[in-house]
Amino acid sequence: MDTATIRVTRYRPEKDSKPYFQDYKVPYRKDMVVLDALNYIKANIDGSLTYRWSCRMGVCGSCGANVDGTPKLTCASFLHEFKGRTITVEPLPNFPVVKDLVVNMEDFMEKLVKIKPWIIREKETPLEQGEYKQSPEELERYQQFSSCINCMLCYSACPIYGLNEKFLGPAAIALAYRYIEDSRDQGKSLRFPIVHEMEGVWECTLVGECSVVCPKGVDPMLAIQKTKILGATNALRSILMPRGGR
Amino acid sequence: MTENKRFPELRRKLTPGWWTSNGHYTQYMIREWTSLFVAVFSLVYIYGLSLWVTGSRSAFLDLLKNPGMIAFSFVALIFTLYHATTWFYLLGQVVPVKIGKTTSKPWQALVVNVVLLLVISYLAIWLLVLR
Repeated sequence: MDTATIRVTRYRPEKDSKPYFQDYKVPYRKDMVVLDALNYIKANIDGSLTYRWSCRMGVCGSCGANVDGTPKLTCASFLHEFKGRTITVEPLPNFPVVKDLVVNMEDFMEKLVKIKPWIIREKETPLEQGEYKQSPEELERYQQFSSCINCMLCYSACPIYGLNEKFLGPAAIALAYRYIEDSRDQGKSLRFPIVHEMEGVWECTLVGECSVVCPKGVDPMLAIQKTKILGATNALRSILMPRGGR
Repeated sequence: MTENKRFPELRRKLTPGWWTSNGHYTQYMIREWTSLFVAVFSLVYIYGLSLWVTGSRSAFLDLLKNPGMIAFSFVALIFTLYHATTWFYLLGQVVPVKIGKTTSKPWQALVVNVVLLLVISYLAIWLLVLR
């Protein structure tokens, strides 16, 4: 068994005014990930270490941290990939830290609700009339964006959000686009004013790191630019055809 | 909600050097900064053209022959090429073209745009100068 050195950010607001690093030595096998190391520390070395996790298989999106300087799911970062190096594990950047590796994501939760992440119908059809049908092509238009697990890696990788927390942000816009592009949805007129606010899509300057760090293959940068195009064509259409533009 | 905020949360700010922490951020910053050279070159060129149309053609040519201007033009050319190619690549990333079942790759957009740039530039030079 090899041994890894894990350097974890500690911040205990009841005792510390500043965060500091603490090193732990963790024995590991080839199949162990950073989350396993944190669990090992908590069980065997220091029970006070605080972090979030749940599924340990890249589905729940709760174990995100800055691993070796990059936002990652700790359950998907293998220890052997850092062989011979100290692995730094820090709380996700751009969010306030509650304790150790736990960040406060309330800001995103408010933004998520704001974009109305559900199918909006002008008029619900009765159940007896059956389901709203959709072709494979219509499904493909939004499917990748529905894979978002709200893990916040994209917000942590986004310097725009780091500089201006009012920015609606990658995941919220990707999810807004997921519903805008859904053929069953009729809520465009409700979502457009939200995503096209100054701090909506137009705040994005195409850094593109959100799409690089996403563990689920979602491309928020693409969703943001497509929303910009939709907004611009919509505005142009309403100027050229004031009556039938929408 | 106020209950769990008895202890102060740690607020962190991006440091001015944030863009040096990751190669992608650095590339992004270079892309943004090179646009300044594109803008300055355009302004100088518009000024030069205004000299040309108002009749002081020699003043425009003197401006172009100035060693400082030649050096600036050279630097601006390199930065404009960097700016253009990175944007062409991004264009391919954000507006992929779908033909049948295949979707275009960003590098394909880069190639098509560079070819278009060369063809249009040649046509413009041919129309204005060579013809």
